[in-house]
Amino acid sequence: MEIASNVNLASLGQQVLVGLSRTTILFIVSSGLSLILGVLRIPNVSHGSLYMIGAFFTYSVASFIGGQTGFWLALILAPLAVGLLSLAVERGIFCHLYDREHLMLLLFTFSLMLVLGDLVKLTYGSNYRSLAAPLMLQGSFSLSGLPFPRYNLFLLVAGPLVALGLWLLTNKTKIGKIARAAAVDREMVAAMGINVSWVFAFVFCIGCLLAGLGGALVAPTQNITQGMDHAIIMETFLIIIIGGLGNIWGALLGAAIFGLTDAIGILVWPQFAIVFPYVAVVIVLLFRPKGLLKSTW
Amino acid sequence: MQDQGMNSRGLILAGVVLAGLAFLPAFAERYYIYLAALILVTGLLASSLNMVLGFGGMYQFHHAVFFGAGAYAAALLTVRGGANPWWGYLLGPVVAAALSLVMGLICVRLSKLYFGMLQISLGSLVWAIVFRWYSFTGGDDGLHGVPVPPLIGSVRGAFYFTLIVTAVCLGLMYLIVNSPFGRVFQSIRDNPERAEAVGVDVVRHQLIGLVIAGFFGGVAGTLFVTVEGTVFPDLMFWTLSLEILIMCLLGGWFTFLGPMLGAAIIVSLRTVVGIYTEYWTLVLGVILMLLIFFLPEGVLGFFTARLGRRRAAGEDG
Amino acid sequence: MKGKLWLILALTAALGLALGGAAMAKTIKIGMVDCYSGPPSTYTNDVRDAFQLYLNKVNATGGVMGAKFKVLTRDSKFKVDLGLAAAKELIMRERVSMLVGTINSALALALSDLCQREKIPFFVTFSKSDKISGAKGHRYVFQITENTAMIGKAAAAGLAKKPFVKYWIAGDDYEYGHAVAQGVWDNLKKLKPGVKLLGQSWWKVGEPDFTPYITAILAAKPDAVIVATGGRDCVPFLKAAQATGFNSKVPFYMHTATELATLRPVGKNAPEGVLGTSNYHFYYPDSPANKAFVAEFQKAYKRLPAVGALYGYITAQLVVQGYQKAKGFDTEKFISAVEGLTVDTPVGPVQLRPDDHQALLPMYLGVTKKSPKYEFLIADGIVTIPPADAAPDLAAIKKARGK
Repeated sequence: MEIASNVNLASLGQQVLVGLSRTTILFIVSSGLSLILGVLRIPNVSHGSLYMIGAFFTYSVASFIGGQTGFWLALILAPLAVGLLSLAVERGIFCHLYDREHLMLLLFTFSLMLVLGDLVKLTYGSNYRSLAAPLMLQGSFSLSGLPFPRYNLFLLVAGPLVALGLWLLTNKTKIGKIARAAAVDREMVAAMGINVSWVFAFVFCIGCLLAGLGGALVAPTQNITQGMDHAIIMETFLIIIIGGLGNIWGALLGAAIFGLTDAIGILVWPQFAIVFPYVAVVIVLLFRPKGLLKSTW
Repeated sequence: MQDQGMNSRGLILAGVVLAGLAFLPAFAERYYIYLAALILVTGLLASSLNMVLGFGGMYQFHHAVFFGAGAYAAALLTVRGGANPWWGYLLGPVVAAALSLVMGLICVRLSKLYFGMLQISLGSLVWAIVFRWYSFTGGDDGLHGVPVPPLIGSVRGAFYFTLIVTAVCLGLMYLIVNSPFGRVFQSIRDNPERAEAVGVDVVRHQLIGLVIAGFFGGVAGTLFVTVEGTVFPDLMFWTLSLEILIMCLLGGWFTFLGPMLGAAIIVSLRTVVGIYTEYWTLVLGVILMLLIFFLPEGVLGFFTARLGRRRAAGEDG
Repeated sequence: MKGKLWLILALTAALGLALGGAAMAKTIKIGMVDCYSGPPSTYTNDVRDAFQLYLNKVNATGGVMGAKFKVLTRDSKFKVDLGLAAAKELIMRERVSMLVGTINSALALALSDLCQREKIPFFVTFSKSDKISGAKGHRYVFQITENTAMIGKAAAAGLAKKPFVKYWIAGDDYEYGHAVAQGVWDNLKKLKPGVKLLGQSWWKVGEPDFTPYITAILAAKPDAVIVATGGRDCVPFLKAAQATGFNSKVPFYMHTATELATLRPVGKNAPEGVLGTSNYHFYYPDSPANKAFVAEFQKAYKRLPAVGALYGYITAQLVVQGYQKAKGFDTEKFISAVEGLTVDTPVGPVQLRPDDHQALLPMYLGVTKKSPKYEFLIADGIVTIPPADAAPDLAAIKKARGK
């Protein structure tokens, strides 16, 4: 297989940056999934649905408010709405199921995915939705002769901010520390007289909020449509597996591997783009059977 | 929980149901005969998954790939090789079992979710090959009008053939589960460390279990070709794997016939509800949620547990 | 008291007879299997609604020879196994007279095979596979949409007139993408032997971000790009093209780029100057027939008809007029009648070619442009490629079928 003739330093650097902006979205969504899996032990298949709902909410809020501020407000309100929705689901249903087998929880989140998917279809119908980025983030600037979209630059800024926020939350706040402790040994935390149930609710809510945030951030670059849930869920599961289950920084590492192999693979070996993520997982797991970073499982 | 997965009463009941099905074509219209065959094929597939999932405790997340491998092997043999279609019924399961061995060798050392996700990745690579290899597998368009032996070509013929093969396979799987191998296999599920400590070769047993499950998954694949006369890459896509996993869990994954029941419930639900509404996944989702809430052991698990309780109460009194 | 009871009984009996009589009037059941959920439904809902629209009109005026049409729809969820099972339910349980659908090519081919065995007609309304009316064609299958072979011919005819020499091909990594790309490229090489292919990129269906592909393509500096992507991927591709300024640096062609379903969601933010082909625009042709159709569709469904609506409408026209020509409801007579039938559609007369059962629709090549009249871009400078120039080659089909 000959290597494409268009590979040079400038284009390679360009692809790395583009890959990193994709990493941002993948990281935000999969860190939420990883958080829920690590602390609550729920393999949440409906995580992709919440990502999709986040994108649809963003569309609704932004087009309802309109103008330049619409998008920015939507970026805050839509994830919050997703968080609230998930809180209702957790308090209403999930909190009664924590002692069940993991696979039964998987079955439950699967049915939730079916229900949420059809609810989105009922609410929004079948037309494609599209949302424009705010004016200041439209178009692109030149990066050593090649265009680089402004919105991707915004993503490059947003990613580290979210990562920093997550680090502060899990390391510097009391509830974050409790959640981390509960991930390792929930009986211990309960024995200390802490209401584990509400810790779980909080973590679930934050995890889903992150899915919603991912959906909100991706909305201006994507076709907002049914089926977004299926498109992302497998990828996020693979990411947290290669990163190490339940490890947020593992999610970051996994997302970077996915984003970069994809972007560079497209440049070097475009005919096989379809298999890159799977190959990455196989290689990682062959050498590190428990993922790259320490997992909580 | 019964380790053997089924008591003698359950065995008799299963036999009666299968025998009763033999008379179905006498009074049912063609569509219901076809539907019954489809349920049997899906049920056999789910049961084969449950060999490793329920009895081996292994998270086989991408079992459909063996179903697809069996179906494609049988179809390609006749379409590309021009061979007598009967040979497909031999080749399909063998190819599926071989694929299962190869994938098993790579995955078997991993545990639980890691095992499952590596399996999904490897299976997806197989899927990608089938999806992309236009000249051989037909790519994403699939292969249609696959020749089926004339004897079993009609809806009725395909049904009888499916019924017989499914019954034989279920019988074989039941024997395997209750064989010395099956008991060791289940003890590995319950406590792998202890099994290792008493000198059981855990990896070897798990590999054998995987190959057996792959084999019967391949049989189900060849039956699918018999019933539908067509193959396409969806047959080995992860969404189908998830669906049959759901069937096992719904029916009761610690019971022998639970997956068959789960398949029957899901296939008939989507057919019946699909006639009335476009939103049948919503209905299916809600029904599933209710079942999980009220029947945590799965449908069959629930009934066997209740029967067990009642009998115990009867003996006390 | 007793008399009253008799009266009631008599009335009930009369009512029963009347109802029975009404039920006795023939109903022609038509089964529609298609994907009505997920991204493809934006196309398939138009097909279904326009199909129903025409049949409602026919039913309201007494139907065909006293028979009324009844449409039964089933959602395939873009899965072949679900679609097959639903189709069998329609054929074996509901005993439909014919099947209509689907957008999924694998399912369309599977149903085509099923309908051949069951000997009932099957009208393919959205799958673009050229195997349907080509290599795998038979007496019982009809293709109403343009297929990949026709797209290739039409696009090559348009591109050959442009000065581009160095091309890059990019597209969806599945049959549709590869077939379109192959079709355009083969025909283009025939028309203009000097063209050069610099390279290709393929992405998975549902690709979330096209920026890395576009920057990779730009790095190779082609004169023009052939983008063989369809369905939901068109929208994010156009957005990425707009964000990177792709269209202002390198011209690109994309089938369906000018279609309403693609351009409406992107609104004013869609890139201008993109070359695209389509079978239908609600604003073109600017004929009374098309205007009447648009008004009719808008009145019924409160939205503008996209290309799928044309396919659904034509299919219904062919079905109704086929039965009228056959003067009865016999399947074989219907097929013989509908073969070679020409119907007056919103885009002018369209013939269902008797040789390969392919409907011959005109194709419109245009360039995306902002319009003061609409909230979205429209196709500008439309050139009509007549069916004769895009129709698949019959000799080749005969050869392929003979194999």
